[in-house]
Amino acid sequence: MAVEPSRYTTNGQRGSLGNVVSRLVGSKMSPAPQQPAMGFFTDTSLCIGCKACEVACKQWNQLPANEPGWTGASYDNTGQLSATTWRHVLFIEQIGRRDNGQDGRHGLRSDMQAHIAQAKSEGVIPLMPPGTALPFFNTDRWLMQSDVCKHCANAPCQEACPTGAIIRTEFDTVYVQQDICNGCGYCVVACPFGVIARDEQGTHTARKCTLCYDRMKDGIEPACAKACPTDSIQFGEVEQLKAHARERLGILHERGVQEARLYGVDDDILEGGLNSSFLLLDEPEVYNLPENPQRPSNNVVPASLWTIVAATILGLFGIIFFRE
Amino acid sequence: MQETQLPQVIQKRLSPSNVVERLATLTTGYTPDPERELEEASYYDFPVLKAPTWHWEITWYFFFGGLAAGCYVVASIASLFGSREDRAVARAGYYLSLLSLLPCPPLLIKDLGRPERFLHMLRIFKVKSPMSMGTWGLISFSFFSGVTAVIQAARDGMLGRWWGARLLAALPQRLLALPGTVLGVFLGGYTGVLLTATSVPLWSRSKVLGAVFISSAISTSSALISLALRLAGSPAHVLRKLERLEWIALLVEMAGLFTFLRGAGRAARPLVGTAPKEHGRTFWSFVFGGGLVLPWLLQTGLLLGRHNKRNSGAGLVLSLLVLVGGYFLRRTIIEAGQTSSQDARTTLWKAQKHPSR
Repeated sequence: MAVEPSRYTTNGQRGSLGNVVSRLVGSKMSPAPQQPAMGFFTDTSLCIGCKACEVACKQWNQLPANEPGWTGASYDNTGQLSATTWRHVLFIEQIGRRDNGQDGRHGLRSDMQAHIAQAKSEGVIPLMPPGTALPFFNTDRWLMQSDVCKHCANAPCQEACPTGAIIRTEFDTVYVQQDICNGCGYCVVACPFGVIARDEQGTHTARKCTLCYDRMKDGIEPACAKACPTDSIQFGEVEQLKAHARERLGILHERGVQEARLYGVDDDILEGGLNSSFLLLDEPEVYNLPENPQRPSNNVVPASLWTIVAATILGLFGIIFFRE
Repeated sequence: MQETQLPQVIQKRLSPSNVVERLATLTTGYTPDPERELEEASYYDFPVLKAPTWHWEITWYFFFGGLAAGCYVVASIASLFGSREDRAVARAGYYLSLLSLLPCPPLLIKDLGRPERFLHMLRIFKVKSPMSMGTWGLISFSFFSGVTAVIQAARDGMLGRWWGARLLAALPQRLLALPGTVLGVFLGGYTGVLLTATSVPLWSRSKVLGAVFISSAISTSSALISLALRLAGSPAHVLRKLERLEWIALLVEMAGLFTFLRGAGRAARPLVGTAPKEHGRTFWSFVFGGGLVLPWLLQTGLLLGRHNKRNSGAGLVLSLLVLVGGYFLRRTIIEAGQTSSQDARTTLWKAQKHPSR
């Protein structure tokens, strides 16, 4: 874990006695001044799957390496985000899309297929011997996505946390204070993206992406964004990133990448959107992202009301029976 | 030919897995369709969610916490509204409430990743977080459960005859029981609300888990109190009211469970189905059959049969069945939650804007 940054700054200089008193009382401490909301925009159309983000994250945050192994599903040998893996590059292999895919889901749209067939018949696209198709006309594709904590505007993990360990920083990011967390595990089941996890081998606390809070404090961009060679991972003010995301989507649509879509920008996910958003090239489910996850804290009121209804019924019957 | 085949067909239809499967389909309203489910997109079926970190400690906490809460509530109803004879119920209930409460804090602390930091739970009071509210509820309830039991002990002469014991015996137990009962209801039900306020499909899709848990708290605690009273040789008419309450609690619990399964639909499969890692066999045999339907029918029979004064054997079995069922209810729900969290397609299925797709 990187050095725990100080969360508070003292107002002005004080004598040692004043310092001690102010620390005891706590009234002279004030939160760091609010900064513009910062976040990521991960443009998967630019990702080349180099995993520099994973490595940079591990290195900067001093996280232990995974035991290398194959999942057997794709070239992804990380599998999922975990307590000690805060960036994870997905490798989605969509082979045989030309023929509508094996399951018929990932195929090219029929109008696109018709265009290709027409071009081939008119000789616009040279007919090639099998196996020598130019990459441009090869419709097989690898989708890559560098997954990360979404830093939700309404973060379920933060809402669930009973110790106040999970806070929103002055950069509006979601941060787990490692000295407060007692590893109760409620955030783990609250997160609808399976991001936050309890570090069972190390600290036994909940851990996840900090958006490199320590680097941000010094005005440096997070390690993954710094390392990304294609600018697939972009870091900046959330509003600017979202504007950029819409612009990029427009460009891709203009160029014929109709399947491009944004995730966490304008869809109001978890009733506030995500500070760490994505540009995807397929349905969110293909990337294991729920299209419209529920906000767990919304369940508290209805679940409580049903409990009260049941308790009232039983209480009334109990009173009736014992009064006889 | 037909003569040999027909019994086989019947045998197959009545085989345990088939019966469980039919019950699962009937109660959830969802018929599994593996071929269509395979077409649903996910990232190579890697789990979308992280598995809960909660295991046997939480199962036992839910069970004992439910008993502590239920015993207190039942005892208070008996004490506030019952006759002089019902004081036996109140006495047993208050003692059993405190006894059941004792294992709860150690279980909860052991479950933490950093047990030495359990006091961090008391840093804040957070209405939005059921676990924060639960911590405060458990602590407040412990106070009332403890004080009420100590007053009871003083009144029963267990603390001697010195002035302190007389002072304790003079405290207003029935007045204290009012806030204590409210907290008891909270403790018995919040655990279900806590599970509902997660992203695990099984726990969160239906909103009635809290209602199921509070009914189970009342049914298991009536069973425990009547078990204790029977073993202590209480007369049958004292147990009568308790048995009626248990009868109605089992009924409400069954209705709650049906609503839960129907509401959760496909997400309830890990609890009721027969596939590997699904807990249908345990659920239907120990929880539903053995823990609810059978004792409810037995109870109905005992309540209707007026002349059977010597049915304490059946009563004991009934209580044990309900207690075992209550334990397995919590255990299967916790364990099936593990399975549910690892099912990527079900997690993504209802989290779509157009689930019919």
